[in-house]
Amino acid sequence: MSKDDEWPEIHGVPDVPGWSHPHQPPAQHCYLGEGSKPEQLAYQEAFAKLKNWFRANSLSVLAYGTGCGSIELRPLATSRFDYERFGFSTQGTPRQANLLILSGYLSIKTLKRVIRVYEQMPSPKWVVGLGSCTINGGMYWDSYATMKQLDLYVPVDMQIAGCMPRPEALLEGFAALMTKIKAGKANGYIDYTRRLDWYRENQKKVIKDWDLPEYNW
Amino acid sequence: MTMKAFVEELSARFEVLWTHAQRDDLFQFGVPAVQAVPLLSYLKAHTPFIQLTHYTVVDWIEDGEFQMTYLLTDPVGRRALMICARIDRETAEADSLYKLWPQAVTYEHEMNEMFGIHFPGSPRMGLDFCLEKWTNTPPMRRDFDTVAFVKEMIPERPGREFITTRDYIGQKVGEKRLLHDD
Repeated sequence: MSKDDEWPEIHGVPDVPGWSHPHQPPAQHCYLGEGSKPEQLAYQEAFAKLKNWFRANSLSVLAYGTGCGSIELRPLATSRFDYERFGFSTQGTPRQANLLILSGYLSIKTLKRVIRVYEQMPSPKWVVGLGSCTINGGMYWDSYATMKQLDLYVPVDMQIAGCMPRPEALLEGFAALMTKIKAGKANGYIDYTRRLDWYRENQKKVIKDWDLPEYNW
Repeated sequence: MTMKAFVEELSARFEVLWTHAQRDDLFQFGVPAVQAVPLLSYLKAHTPFIQLTHYTVVDWIEDGEFQMTYLLTDPVGRRALMICARIDRETAEADSLYKLWPQAVTYEHEMNEMFGIHFPGSPRMGLDFCLEKWTNTPPMRRDFDTVAFVKEMIPERPGREFITTRDYIGQKVGEKRLLHDD
C-alpha cells in the first residue's frame, strides 16, 4: 500500500445513516443541551483528514533568522536542495505565513519580537525550532542574554537537533512535520490559545520590559 | 623617528607613566586619566596618528580601577599607539571623545551599558544599546555573577549533563591514548 492510499478518497458527501437531506444533518448529531457531545460524523473526520493533507502540502514559511542556523536555510530554499519541491513557499510577512522557522539561539530581546510575530500569524500555524539552542540552550548555556528552552514561550511542533543542522536534516525534519500535520497531531497553535496564561507567565518572567498588548492580533 | 623616541618627545608635554614596546609597529604607554583627552587631541592635530582604531575598557577589579584603552593608528606609516589611562572603579567616569571622533559615541554608548561607565556630555548615556531595560549590575563587569543570574532568571530544560571535552575524548578513545599524547 502506498502512502497516498492512507487517505480516503472523497467524492461528494458520503452516505450517512439517518440522513434525510444531503445538506441537513440528522437530529441526533445536533446540539441537544448542556453536557451533550455532538457525534463526530464520518464525513467530518474524512474532511478533517483532507484539510490536514492540503495544509501539510502547502506550507508558507516565515524564516526568522535569529541565529547562525539561518545560514542553512539559504541552500535549502534555493536550487541545491530546493524545498519548493515539497510545497514550501517563502513569505515575507507573518500575516501570510503559517510556518515559523526559528533558526538558532534567541536572545531575550529577539524573543519579544518572535512572540509578536507568532501571534500575528493566522491559524493554523506551526513552529519549527532549529538547532540545539532552541532545545536546551546549546552553546549559549550560561549566557545572560539568551533563552534556553523555546517551548516555554511559543509552542514548538518540531525540533531539529544539531549545531547547526544541515539542509538534509532540515528536509527530514520538515518531512516529519508534514507527517505530523497530516495525522492531525501538530496542534501547538491550539495549545497556545488554550494555555495562553501559562505561556504569558513564562514570557513575562524573562522579558522584563513587557509592553506588548494582551494579544498581538 | 622610532616609536620610542616619539614617545620620549611626547613625555616633554605629557606625563608618561610607563612604556612598553609590544612590537616594532605597536607601542604602549600609560598616562593619567586627566591627560588622556588632551594627549589624544594633540596626537590627532599634530602627528600622523589620526585614526581611532579601537576604544575599549578593561576591568581591573583587583586594583579597583578601570583601564581605558585607546588605539590610534598612523594609516600612512602603518604604526599604532596604544594609550592606557586608569580611572577609579567606584566613580567610573571618563572623559568623552565624541568631539574628536564622532564615531566614539557608539563605543561610549556600549561601554556605558556593558560596564556602567559614565561619559559626561556624550549624547547617548543611559539609553539602551543591546540590552533592554537592564537593571542588574552591568554584565561585562567582573563582579557580575553570570551563572547565578542565569540560574535565577532563565529557566532551563532538566536533564542536560555537563561533560568536558577531555573526558568525552577520553571515553571515546580511551585514557591510554590520551596519556600517551601528553
